[in-house]
Amino acid sequence: MAIVKDRSNWSKLGTVLKYTLLTIGAFVMLAPFADMFLGALRTPAERISQPPVYFPRDPQWGNYLRVFTELPMLRWMGNSLFVTAMVTALQLLTSAMAGYALAKYNFRGRDILFRSVLGAQMFPFFLFIIPIFFILRYFPLFGGNDILGQGGSGFLNTYAAIILPFSITWYGIFLMRQFFMAVPNELMDAARLDGAGEFRIFFSIALPLVLPGLATLGIFVFVYQWNEVIWTMTVTRTAPDLQTIPVGIYLLRGAFIDQSTRSLQQAALGVSILPVIVTFLFLQRYYVRGLTAGAVKG
Amino acid sequence: MTDTSPTASEQMLSAAREDLIDQEPPRRSLAARLSSKAVAPWIFITPMLLFGAVFFILPLLYAFFISLTRWNSLSAPKWVGFKHYEYLLTTDPVFWQTFWNTMYFAAASIGIGVPLAMVLAYAFTRSKGRTVWRSIYWLPMITNVVAVAYIWKFVLDDRYGLLNRALGFLGLGAPGWLTDPNLALTSVVLIFVWMQLGHNMLLFSAGLASIDESYYEAARLDGANERQCFFRITVPLLMPTTLFVLITNFISGLSYFTLMLVLTDGNGGPLRSTTVTALYMYKMAFEDLRMGRASAVAYLLFAVILVITLI
Amino acid sequence: MKPVRITRVSVVSALTAATALVAPSVAAAETTITVATHYNQEQMGPLLACFDQYTAENPDIKIEFQQAAYGDFLQTILTSRVGGTSPDIYNIYSVWAPQLADAGTLDEPSDEMKDWIRANYGEGSVGAATINGTLWGIPTELSVYQLFYNKKMLAEAGYDAPPATWAELKEIAAAITTKNDQGVIERAGYVYGPSVANAVHVYYSQMYAAGVPPYSEDFRSTNFTTPESIEIVRRMGELFAEGITSNTNITDDFAGGSAAMMIAANWNKAELQSVYGDEFEATVGIAPIPNDGGDPGTMLYSFLWAVDSTSDAKEESWALLKWLNEAQGDASLSCTGEMLNDLGALSGNLADLASMDTDDSFTKPFVAAIESGAAKSQPNIWAASENDRTLRGYIEQVWAGNMTAEEAMAAADAEVTAVLSEQD
Repeated sequence: MAIVKDRSNWSKLGTVLKYTLLTIGAFVMLAPFADMFLGALRTPAERISQPPVYFPRDPQWGNYLRVFTELPMLRWMGNSLFVTAMVTALQLLTSAMAGYALAKYNFRGRDILFRSVLGAQMFPFFLFIIPIFFILRYFPLFGGNDILGQGGSGFLNTYAAIILPFSITWYGIFLMRQFFMAVPNELMDAARLDGAGEFRIFFSIALPLVLPGLATLGIFVFVYQWNEVIWTMTVTRTAPDLQTIPVGIYLLRGAFIDQSTRSLQQAALGVSILPVIVTFLFLQRYYVRGLTAGAVKG
Repeated sequence: MTDTSPTASEQMLSAAREDLIDQEPPRRSLAARLSSKAVAPWIFITPMLLFGAVFFILPLLYAFFISLTRWNSLSAPKWVGFKHYEYLLTTDPVFWQTFWNTMYFAAASIGIGVPLAMVLAYAFTRSKGRTVWRSIYWLPMITNVVAVAYIWKFVLDDRYGLLNRALGFLGLGAPGWLTDPNLALTSVVLIFVWMQLGHNMLLFSAGLASIDESYYEAARLDGANERQCFFRITVPLLMPTTLFVLITNFISGLSYFTLMLVLTDGNGGPLRSTTVTALYMYKMAFEDLRMGRASAVAYLLFAVILVITLI
Repeated sequence: MKPVRITRVSVVSALTAATALVAPSVAAAETTITVATHYNQEQMGPLLACFDQYTAENPDIKIEFQQAAYGDFLQTILTSRVGGTSPDIYNIYSVWAPQLADAGTLDEPSDEMKDWIRANYGEGSVGAATINGTLWGIPTELSVYQLFYNKKMLAEAGYDAPPATWAELKEIAAAITTKNDQGVIERAGYVYGPSVANAVHVYYSQMYAAGVPPYSEDFRSTNFTTPESIEIVRRMGELFAEGITSNTNITDDFAGGSAAMMIAANWNKAELQSVYGDEFEATVGIAPIPNDGGDPGTMLYSFLWAVDSTSDAKEESWALLKWLNEAQGDASLSCTGEMLNDLGALSGNLADLASMDTDDSFTKPFVAAIESGAAKSQPNIWAASENDRTLRGYIEQVWAGNMTAEEAMAAADAEVTAVLSEQD
C-alpha cells in the first residue's frame, strides 16, 4: 500500500506542477494585452509625469470612442472586411475546384500536378514581393495600361492589387483535396447514372459534403488575411483609402508621436484585434482541424 | 435532383459558347461535352493553372531576370549577369551579417519555442478547463503583428516598461531589451515564440491525442511517475509531430521579417542587429530601389531554405 | 438543395465583385491635385484651411492631402512613382532631390517660376533646392542645428553657461547624469536618438563646426577619415562608454525633462514651447555647436515644394504652389509661412522670415547662424538617404563599443565612396 500512496503523492505533485505551469504561461500570454488596454486608458498627464503613472486614476474610456471619430477606423475596418471576405471567397472557390479535380478525377498529368502543389508550398512569400509588385504594375490593359503594360498604373491602387496575389493557396488546394478524398465515389457515380453533369455533381453533391473543410480553410484564410501586413502595406502605401486596420495604424504612426496620442494608438490597436477574437471564439474548432490536417501529412 | 434550372456555371458556359462557336454543334451536346468526365477536371483546375501561371511561375522567372540586372525601376534595367550574386557573397559585409541574424533567429525560436510548446501542450491535454486555456494561449497567435509589436514596445521600454518595472520591484537590473544591440534580436525571438506558442501547442496536443492512453496506463501500473511518463512515452512517441513542428518552424523562421520591420520602424536596428535577410531584401528593394540586388538576395535566401528543406 | 443555392450565389457574387475591383478608386470629374507631406493633419492645419479657401475660389480644382510618416516619406514617393500613382505635389527633403531628379521624377519649374523663386528666397535655401545648376522647387522649411541645453538643469549642477568645447560638454553632462537603482540612466546629461538624422546630422554639424565639410567638393569622396572627423566620432563613443548617455536616452527626453543637452534642429521649438509654456525661454537655451575654438559652424537643411513630372496637372500645381507661398490679402504671412510659423520653424522665404516672430532668445541664434553664413547647406549628395543610413550604422558601432572611431570611419568611407562612384 505504501507504494500506491507514494505514487498518488507523485501524481498530486504532477498536478500542481501542471497547473502552475499553465497559469504562469497564461499570465505571460495575457499580461501584455492588459498592459495595452490599461495604456489606452491613461491621460496625457499620467504619461508625461516622472515616472509615468501605471494604473490610470481617471480611466479615459472615451479613447476607445475617439478611435472612431479621430481616425479613419471605419474606413480601415471596411477595407479589412472587404479584402478578407474577397480573399476568403476566392481561395475557397479555387481551392475547392482544384482540390476536387485532384481528388476525384483520373486525368493525364494529375500526379505531377499534385506533386507540384505540394512542392509549391516550399516557396516562401518574400520571393514574390518584388516581381508580383511589378507584374501588377505593368499588367496589360488594366488601370490605364496599354497592351504592353505601359502608360497607367495597372492594378496598383485598387483593391485588386491587395486581393489577387492571394487568390490561390497551395496549402488550401492540398487541404481541400484531403477533404474530398474522404467523399465516397459511390455517391457521385450514382448521380452520374441519374444523368447529372460533372458541375452539378460538384456543386450539389461534393461541395455540401465538405462544408466542414470549407469552414476550416475559411477561418484559416480569414485569420491570416485579417492580419496580413507586408503585402498590403507595400501596395497601399500611397493609397490611404485602401489601407486595412493594421497597415493603417502602422503607417499613421507619425501622428502618434506625442504623449497625448499614444493612448489613442493603443486603443486603436485594441480595436484592431477584436473582430478576429470574436470570429475565433466561435470557429476555433475548425482551426484545429486545418492545422492538424497539415501535420498528419508530415 | 429534379431541379432542372441550369447551374450558374452552365449559364456562363452556354453564354460563352454562343460567342465562340457556330451553330453547328447542338446546344445540349456542347454543354454535355464540357461537363463530361474527360473535360470537367480541366475546367476545375483552370483557375489554379491560370493564377499559378501569373502569380507563381511568372514571378519566379521575372524575379530571376531582375536579379541579373541593375534596375532602380524608374529607368531601364541594365544587364549585369551574376554580378549581384558575386557582390553579395564576396563583398557585401551586410549580407552575411543578416544571414547569421536569420539563422540565429530561426534556430533560437525553435530552440526555445518547441520544448516550451511541448511541455505546455502536455500539461494542457491533461488538465481541466481546456477551452479556457486554449482561448488564452491562442490570443497572441490571432493578433495582428502591428498590435503585437506595439504591445511589446511598451512592455519592453527600458525605463518605464512593465517588464523592467517588475524586475526593478524584485531588485533586479534593467536590460535594454530593444536598445541593446546584443540583446535586441533575442528579444525579437522571445516575442516571436510568444506569438507562435499557441500554434505549436495546438500541433503538439493533436499529436498527443493520437498517443494511445493504454501506454500510460501500463506504465503507471509499473509504477512510473508523471516525469517518467513524459520522457519515456510522450517524447519518443511524439517524434513525428516534433519533427514536423521543428521543420515548419525553422523554415518559416528563415523567411520571417514582418515583426522586425514593424518593431523597429523599418530600421532593423539597433545596429542592424534585428535585420534579417528578408528584411534586408525588402528595404533594399523599396527604400533604395535596388530591385536587381534585392532579387538576388531573395534567391540566395531561398536557395538556403531549399537546401535545408531537402536535408 | 439549400447549400447548393448558397454556393451558386457566392460564385456569382464573387465574379461580379472581381470585375468591380478593377475600377479606379478615384473618379476624375475635375482637376484633382494631390499634395503629399510628412506633416501630420494637425501640423498641416493652416495649410488645409488654405486649401479650402483655394478650392472655394477655384471650383474646378479639388485638393487632396496625403500624409506619410517622415521615416516612410521617401519610400512613399518612390513607391508611388514606381507604381505610376504619384501625388502631384510633394514636400521633399532637399537631399532626396538628386536621386529624384536623376530618375526624372521632378518637373522643372518654368523660367518665370524660377525667377520668382530666386527673387523671393534666400541664397542658402535656393542653393539647397539646386542640383548641378538646376533649380527644382520652392524652398520651404529651413532647419538649423545648434546645441540645446536645459538652463535649469545646468544651473542646478552649478554651471551658468553652456559648454563651448566638447571637454566642457562632457564634464557638465557627467555631472548632470543620474541613474536609477537598476543602473538605467534616468536623467541623461546628453542624448542622441534612434533616427538616422539623430546621429548623422549631429555628426555633419560637428564637422562644419570643426571647419571640415563632410564631403569633397565634387561629392565623390568623403572626409570621414580626417583627424577632425575621427575625433568627433571618438568623443561620441566616449559619452556611451562612460555611461553619460545610452540608446535608452533619446532626443524626446529633452522635452520630457530627463535630458540636459542635445544637438538638434530648431523645429523642436513648437513641442518644447507647448511642454514648457511660460517657462520656455527660462528653460531652453541655445548655444553654438561646441568645437575646439575657431569660428562657429553648423549644418542646415531645407525642404522644398516640388511637382511630379508625370502629373496631369502640372500647371495647376505650380499655380497652387505660388499662391500658397505668397501672402494673400492683408495677411502678413503666406500660407506656407503661417504653417511654418505655427511649427516654430524657419522659412526660406524672405518676406515670410521678416514677418515671423524671430526675436525670442530661442530663435535668434538660429536666424543669426543663417544670416552669418555659419550654417552650411547639407550637401546634396548622390543616394543621400542610403549613405546616411550607412554612416549611422558605423557611428552606432562606435557607440556600442564594437569598433574604434578609426575602424568605423574607414569602413564608412569605403562603403559610401563606392555608392558615390555609381553616379555617372
